[in-house]
Amino acid sequence: MNTFATKFSTTSAVGQLRKAQKLAAEEDEFSDAAWGSEAGFGNVAKGAPSFTVPAIPDPAAFLRLHTDDHADPSCRIKIQHGTTTLAFRFQGGVIVAVDSRATAGSYIASGTVKKVIEINPYLLGTMAGGAADCQYWETYLGMHCRLHELRNRERISVSAASKYLSNLVYSYKGMGLSMGTMICGWDKTGPAVFYVDSDGTRLKGDLFSVGSGSTFAYGVLDQGYHWDLTDAEAQELGRRSIYAAGHRDAFSGNTCNLYHVKEDGWHFIGNYDVSKMHYDGPGNVPGAPGHGYGYDIRVEGRSSANPPEASS
Amino acid sequence: MARRYDSRTTIFSPEGRLYQIEYAMEAISHAGTVLGVLAKDGVVLAAEKKVTGKLLDLSAAKDGGYGGSGEKIYLLNSNVIGGVAGLTADANSLVNYARTAAQRHLLMYNEDIPVELLAQRMCDMKQGYTQFGGLRPFGVSLLYAGYDPHYHFQLYHSDPSGNYSGWKATCIGANNGTAQSLLKQEYKDDIEVKDAIGLVLRTMSKTMDSTTLGSEKLEFAVITLDPTTKEPKAKIYKPAEIDALLQKEGLMKKEEDAEMATA
Amino acid sequence: MSIMELNGGSVIAMVGKDCVAIAADMRLGNQALGISSKFERIFPVTDRIYLGLPGLATDVATLRERFRFRVNMYTIKEEREIQPETFAHLVSSTLYEHRFGPYFIEPVMAGISKTPSGAVKPFIAATDLIGCLNFAKDFVVAGTASTKLYGVAEGLWEPDLEPEDLFETISQTLLNATDRDAFSGWGCIVHIITKDKVVTRTLKGRMD
Repeated sequence: MNTFATKFSTTSAVGQLRKAQKLAAEEDEFSDAAWGSEAGFGNVAKGAPSFTVPAIPDPAAFLRLHTDDHADPSCRIKIQHGTTTLAFRFQGGVIVAVDSRATAGSYIASGTVKKVIEINPYLLGTMAGGAADCQYWETYLGMHCRLHELRNRERISVSAASKYLSNLVYSYKGMGLSMGTMICGWDKTGPAVFYVDSDGTRLKGDLFSVGSGSTFAYGVLDQGYHWDLTDAEAQELGRRSIYAAGHRDAFSGNTCNLYHVKEDGWHFIGNYDVSKMHYDGPGNVPGAPGHGYGYDIRVEGRSSANPPEASS
Repeated sequence: MARRYDSRTTIFSPEGRLYQIEYAMEAISHAGTVLGVLAKDGVVLAAEKKVTGKLLDLSAAKDGGYGGSGEKIYLLNSNVIGGVAGLTADANSLVNYARTAAQRHLLMYNEDIPVELLAQRMCDMKQGYTQFGGLRPFGVSLLYAGYDPHYHFQLYHSDPSGNYSGWKATCIGANNGTAQSLLKQEYKDDIEVKDAIGLVLRTMSKTMDSTTLGSEKLEFAVITLDPTTKEPKAKIYKPAEIDALLQKEGLMKKEEDAEMATA
Repeated sequence: MSIMELNGGSVIAMVGKDCVAIAADMRLGNQALGISSKFERIFPVTDRIYLGLPGLATDVATLRERFRFRVNMYTIKEEREIQPETFAHLVSSTLYEHRFGPYFIEPVMAGISKTPSGAVKPFIAATDLIGCLNFAKDFVVAGTASTKLYGVAEGLWEPDLEPEDLFETISQTLLNATDRDAFSGWGCIVHIITKDKVVTRTLKGRMD
């Protein structure tokens, strides 16, 4: 029920939203005419986008009641949790690697999801948590990065872009947004990776992995990572880490999408089938070991279960 | 005066005896003979059948089967065969108990029950019936012929008191004294199954009341190791196989008896 | 967290012409974490009956042993092998004995019975975790991929398949269904039971 108090409250989430909308409408800088096309974002171009909220006192509580919650697996709206994404900085730029599995409960809804969002030619964002949240807000971020370019005659720094996103999601804190993302790019300072999540956390770092398979990815990543990796070694490390997560984690897998960000922007390196990597390896690509990643394949003839021919 | 102690299992007599157990043992010494010989590579068991007659329907027993469907020799587990002497009804109950105990062991430890442990389980049960009020002892002695990886082939005997002991060759039932002295004379260490079979059959033919041997009066079983799998293999002989064996050992009954039996 | 989904795994059985097939995946997991790709959940009961036990892994081991106990007792007392129909009821009654604290297993069985005339009769059945029997004439499924298995099997199965065709059908059904299930997969094992032999094959599956 929409109580009188909530309607005019200035501290509740709804109130905040309403206030932002009102401000945006009054702000000359945000008027439609100033920026021409709204690029498909409609009223979003006015500043803070507006959303219809349920006509009840606490929309956040209402949403929590109906979305994925650890306490309630039978909820009506499932938000995708299973994922493995990673990004790391090294001498040759940034490697971004992700899996492509989408699950709804135990059902594998898709094996061909694009979890790297190409914000612009110099910026990549990864997708973990709510697919829609990541997709929408990172595209929205792309729009504001372009506005920044037009206004300041220079590209936005990765730091500024990630900060914009983190401030944005923070303003929706407690309303059910679910994102765990890495904003990766190359700016004046060189290669950069920032971790941003829907709690409002924003971290600068060399190496991150996010998602249900992140522990497995970290295992491979940590033992193989150092700054002086060659491009081929770094790409192989990214692939190998996503393979490890895709193999062990039930909610990750299918394929690996690999990106490399260099000074001239990001490059798509390739798409690799996790099962094919297990049995045969990633194929004829730089840094590939020439055999499958799978343990049984890797140690063929060298393990106690499958010992080498006895030499007398 | 003696009646006070006679009628109770759980009460000692002034001379320190438990009469009911002694009576049970006495009953067994009139039962069909069961004879076992431990060999290097197996154990041989033979038993004298008491319940015979032209009208007895043996059609089920002819086919044989896993358990022998006989009167006196039973498969207790894949590695143990048992020979019983005494009250058939009591024996059935004990055989069932032994099989369940063996399967319980398999369930708990995922291994075949060791032969001695099976004998112990049975004796725990038998002993209980000599002590608790209102019960009578089982009127059954058993021979256990079996194999386990710890002590390989073994032969045990248990009596109604709950005592058990291991033997190289032994006999229970009627004329067990005669049979045991014969075995004592003839038994050699390192005897092989093929010789043990002969020893058992010859001893049986001398011990049994009837002068002739035949499948209608005899049960026979051997436990050996399967040469390929190295697992114990119990074989309880079918009537036709017993007759063939007797023929081979030259202990077959005379021709006229055979004609009478088939008539 | 559902206890039926704790370890994952699925089983399917199908009827063919004078033959039956039973197949299962080989994943053992702890929720999302894959532990083993060599976990067997199908066991021979007799030479001609195979039993699949999808569900909680600890109960797989326990039930397999309990059924061995009961089948051994049946065999030694009856002095003959148990028939598939009889075994199905043994499974059912064993599970119902635990009606108020069940084993978290939904057994699937496949076997061939010999009629007195010497003819063979294929047999498959499945029960829920408290022993409700389901005798099907085409196929039965169970486990975390059961819903997906129903879909694929419904599309691929046809009557009177010869052993080799049945093998192809059951393998494709299992492989494709488990590829859509997060908790099943990591390789498969297939048993084809005919009147005089059982052919067992392990299949490579997706390892993710």
